Amino acid sequence: MSGQVLLVAAVAVPLVTVFVLALVLWSGRPLGERAVSNLVILAAAVSAVSGLGMAVVSLVDGPIAVSLGTWFADFPLRLRADWLSIPVATMAALLGCLIGAFSQRYLHRDPGFRRFYLLLALFVAAVELVVLAGTLDLLIVGWELAGLASALLIAFFHHRNGPVAHGLRAFITYRVSDIGLVGAAVVEHRGGSHTAVGLLLLWAVIGKSAQFPLGGWLPRAMEGPTPSSAICYGAISVSLGPYLLLRNGINGSAVVAVGVVTAVFATLVGRAQTDIKSTLAYASMTQIALVLVEIGLGLEVLALVHLLAHAALRSAQILRSPSLLHDHHHLEQALNAPLPRTGKHFDWLLPRGAQAWLYRFALERGYVDAFLVDRVVGGLVRAVRGLDAAGERWVRRSSTRPPAHPAVSR
Amino acid sequence: MSGLIGPLVERAAGLLPEQGPLQAFVHHNTLHAFEHLPFADAVVRAGELFGTEPFPAEAELHGHVRSGRITHADIDAVVAAEVADDGAPIMPGGPTRREFHALRLRHLVDVPRGAALSWLLAESADLGVTWDCLREAAPRVVPVAGPMPRPRDRVLAATGVDPDQLAHPVLIRLTAAFLDQGVAYWPMPGRDGGLLAAFVALYGKPGGPPDRFLRGLPACLRAHRDWDAERTIAWALTELEVPEPEWGEAVLATLLSLRGWAGMVRHLELRPDRAPVAAPPARLVDYLAVQLVLDVFAARHVLATTDPHLVVEVTARPDLELAYEAFVLAEILGVEPTDPTAWLTVVGGCDGIERRRLLHAAYERRHRVGVLDGLAAHQALSTQVTEAPAFQAVFCIDEREESLRRHLEENSPSVETFGYAGFFGVAMNYRGAHDIKSTPLCPVVITPTHDVVERPIGSTRAFTRRARAGWTHLVSVGSRTLARGGVLSLAMGVAGFCSLVSRCLFPRQAQHWAHRFDGKPPATRLDLGFTVAEMTAIVANVLRTTGVLAAPAPIVLLVGHGSSSMNNPHESAHDCGATGGGRGGPNARAFAAMANHPDVRSGLGLPDGTWFVGAYHNTCDDSVTYFDEDLVPSSHLEPLAAAKFALAEACVLAAHERCRRFETAPTDLALADALAHAETHAVDLGQPRPEYGHATNAVCVVGRRSRTRGLYLDRRAFLVSYDPAADTDDALLTGLLLAVGPVCAGINLEYYFSYIDPAGYGCGTKLPHNITGLIGVMDGHASDLRTGLPWQMVEIHEPVRLLLVVEASPARLLAILAAHANLGRLVGNGWVQLVSWDSDGQMNVFQDGAFQPYTPETGHFPVVERSADVYAGKREHLGCAHVMAAIELPVPVFAATQDAL
Repeated sequence: MSGQVLLVAAVAVPLVTVFVLALVLWSGRPLGERAVSNLVILAAAVSAVSGLGMAVVSLVDGPIAVSLGTWFADFPLRLRADWLSIPVATMAALLGCLIGAFSQRYLHRDPGFRRFYLLLALFVAAVELVVLAGTLDLLIVGWELAGLASALLIAFFHHRNGPVAHGLRAFITYRVSDIGLVGAAVVEHRGGSHTAVGLLLLWAVIGKSAQFPLGGWLPRAMEGPTPSSAICYGAISVSLGPYLLLRNGINGSAVVAVGVVTAVFATLVGRAQTDIKSTLAYASMTQIALVLVEIGLGLEVLALVHLLAHAALRSAQILRSPSLLHDHHHLEQALNAPLPRTGKHFDWLLPRGAQAWLYRFALERGYVDAFLVDRVVGGLVRAVRGLDAAGERWVRRSSTRPPAHPAVSR
Repeated sequence: MSGLIGPLVERAAGLLPEQGPLQAFVHHNTLHAFEHLPFADAVVRAGELFGTEPFPAEAELHGHVRSGRITHADIDAVVAAEVADDGAPIMPGGPTRREFHALRLRHLVDVPRGAALSWLLAESADLGVTWDCLREAAPRVVPVAGPMPRPRDRVLAATGVDPDQLAHPVLIRLTAAFLDQGVAYWPMPGRDGGLLAAFVALYGKPGGPPDRFLRGLPACLRAHRDWDAERTIAWALTELEVPEPEWGEAVLATLLSLRGWAGMVRHLELRPDRAPVAAPPARLVDYLAVQLVLDVFAARHVLATTDPHLVVEVTARPDLELAYEAFVLAEILGVEPTDPTAWLTVVGGCDGIERRRLLHAAYERRHRVGVLDGLAAHQALSTQVTEAPAFQAVFCIDEREESLRRHLEENSPSVETFGYAGFFGVAMNYRGAHDIKSTPLCPVVITPTHDVVERPIGSTRAFTRRARAGWTHLVSVGSRTLARGGVLSLAMGVAGFCSLVSRCLFPRQAQHWAHRFDGKPPATRLDLGFTVAEMTAIVANVLRTTGVLAAPAPIVLLVGHGSSSMNNPHESAHDCGATGGGRGGPNARAFAAMANHPDVRSGLGLPDGTWFVGAYHNTCDDSVTYFDEDLVPSSHLEPLAAAKFALAEACVLAAHERCRRFETAPTDLALADALAHAETHAVDLGQPRPEYGHATNAVCVVGRRSRTRGLYLDRRAFLVSYDPAADTDDALLTGLLLAVGPVCAGINLEYYFSYIDPAGYGCGTKLPHNITGLIGVMDGHASDLRTGLPWQMVEIHEPVRLLLVVEASPARLLAILAAHANLGRLVGNGWVQLVSWDSDGQMNVFQDGAFQPYTPETGHFPVVERSADVYAGKREHLGCAHVMAAIELPVPVFAATQDAL
């Protein structure tokens, strides 16, 4: 019984907090920085403690499940906590709590302070829902909310063009990968094959976890404040993809293939990046790809440990990234020598021509963005425009009356 | 034809940001290139060129009018001085020009513009006869598009598509890779040949990026393989159909479109020695050639794929905005515009820029009056120290040391303090025991010719330190790679989690844990590469200028300063400006070693009873480190211990005073918690405000300390010790002003510009900053390199020009200004406000080319027992006050912590 209470609390407390906070902020009541942030930290802390409690309970009694009735026909509200979901849920809530505490200082006096905490709370609540959902349908609800929160966090500085464009980019990538997720749910309901469900889920994962070839949004996502970059793109958001596969027991050669291709691609591209946050973004991409390989090979426990360990290490690195100059100087002093040059093996392994080619490939991020944006999306847009113009001409030719304002119809 | 290019690029380069790599941040006047113009003209001209703000926003200035920060007397005085008036009303029954301006500045009128105004006029009923008259009389204007020097501007105007969206990301990637100092695992191949050669080598290969706008680029680059940058630029400008007479404008505008990157390329071209690791052969012409080639392809692509559709309107229309403003003002001021044309002219003459200029002048005036009245009133109360000083301490002139000096004197009345530029006259290339290369520690205008090396004596714990650093480096690089990253992220997950928990929740303890095995640094000595004659000259100059030489105390402390902080790419901007953005500890130490040298002492006749000790003050956590204590003669150990204790007490009090500016500190912060609070700010990864640095700086006083001793100046005044008695031929004063004037003005103006336009002159908020190439910061993943100061550094600043008060007669100052063109320009063009403060107390303010006598205005001057009585419980800027000396106050000093740091 107590396990079920904890399970409900882990999901419900952050969700209720989001609604309460949103209502209060929407009503225009002036809330102090401390009040807002403490509320969000407290909610995440309750969730984290519930996760720890569930860990104890489930060690004794086994997995916990709770059914909260149905939302509508064929949509049961079921939660599930087991060896897989408890560690991930606890880790996400703990990180939410830590980032919340960190951001009290980091975002102090920023005009968007309250918005940041609302989005952080939404993100944590959504992730708890994703992780602890007992059905794929309920998971989708959390998945969408998490995607929305992270897109809005990327676009946090919305008075500049870059963040908004990049937030939109992430949002669109998420929508494209939703086709896979929703498709998987539909196929599952229709009793389709496990392979089809698996492939569709893999599609969803490629977008969410920034795998090849849809990973271009990840370095662009570093437009938000550093703490949100740390929790979303160093740790939790990108880890939801592997979690989805683990949860649904998907493995096999397709997963391995995506992982291998992305790992090689991301590590190559990451080596030519010259700003610290892009470097870390590609490092995240590489490790998440390795986790996918482990999942594909059926090494579930290793994958889970790798996922959680990577989340902790990477978010710590992103939080420290603004101190890079300080750290570089102190490392040089401690070593009493210039930092050793990296990447020398490229010099002696590769002929000069190949070096230049490979370097350009890496610097241009594997040409993937150019290809996707310019050729695929751009091609689609041009095709639609062409059809539009053709239709226009056809209408004009077939109609007896000339349009009143030819200039307007353009 | 390509011979033209060099001079054009040189000319444009002068207008690029001068900021170098962030590791050694040197404050300078953001508009240094405009110093030949009067301040008000310069900021407007620069605003037009860079798209930036010239003065604080009108709404902000009006906030000050409402709050009383700008008084009506200020507005009237400024209008009287700045607005020409013949005494006749503008029109019968109306106000005179001055009356109009004085009234106009008191009202913030929000006039709707453009479509909002059209809507308002369409919706409102008949506005009456006045409106009709004004509308009839309104001058007709033709809407003009802004200047379009770049071909890109014309393409954008014609198609609505910005070619820079295509060209800039590629250019940023390339330039960042070319300048990278070691962030990327894999350095750019072939960058030794320069940016253009590397670009040609990389992008001239077939099978390049599939972007449609780059189609044909490889072939083009191969065809131009042997061209130099100038020829490529000439080709591109011709290709972009820029007429030759307009090349200069096009080059300038093109470079300004990514001015941070262009400026950095230029900086490393001129000063390769300032690169943090190793400078690539950067040349601005190479950069421009690459940018223009990309511009050619981007413009071609946009024109080929979109249809021009935007039309520019050219018909003349009445200036309804002006008419409506005149109409509203007539109603507010209760004026009947019997002569609509005259009314429109006078309203139009007091436009937004003019109002902001005048209000800003009034804002500065209130500050000037406050400080000058404080200085004048304080003279009646200040007392001379009669007894022989227990010890003397020479600090940097930095305004952050003002509070430390004040608290030191307040607590220990028998102490004398002095201010001298924090390199203490020792211009050197310094290499510390752990440094891997020498860095210049002196003002940037000096090129040091002497090397000073710190040499360890005795055993060091270098091995464990090196091993730990090696491991840290391995983790930080390895965790970003594929295989090593996999192993490391599995192995280091727990460590990462512990680091997260401690850094997020217990930042100060986390820093202590991380450095718990560091141990004491090894004992070292300095190898001074100076001759005895040189050392004697340096010591003599400093001691004579400050006045220490007249009566040296048993202990003379030299206190250099610097600042260490986390989460702060702009860390070095908090260091000592007089050491060129370095830390002044080694200078203080070197000076003390020179002054203790037997030959130097005998040369200067320094008494045996005096010993010099160098020290280093960390302004971020208010700790003090002392150098070469083991060399102190036993006779001086006791006075030194007393001096250290007094300084430690003063540090606690100064930290307490400083913390009032942090909203994170409660207004009733206990004295015992002050140091811990300051230290937490310094070591917290989540703290974007490690210290407020030079923010709020506004005043510089050059003169004897006795004239400012006991005066509360709110950490806003640079204090330069100058003893007129020792300066018979003005040589000392000239030297001081030439050094201090530009340095303090540079700091002051950099803060001014970063404050009034945080996005245009400053680098915006720190929160999304992303360090690139170890040289600078970008917003997010691919933006221009952001120069200037971040908002978190300047948010509490008051944008006033430096008030430079000098203890010298107007005639002497005029002679110095006339003899030194740079200084004369700075003062004459109003980039600083110069005040002459005679020995008899008379003040003269330099205005409009001449010194004009100043009479104090306010009679009120607070007298308090302790500084804390002035600042306790307050966060805002505070006025001057007299603080009485030697009122007992128990100060919690943790001598142990002071020593350990």
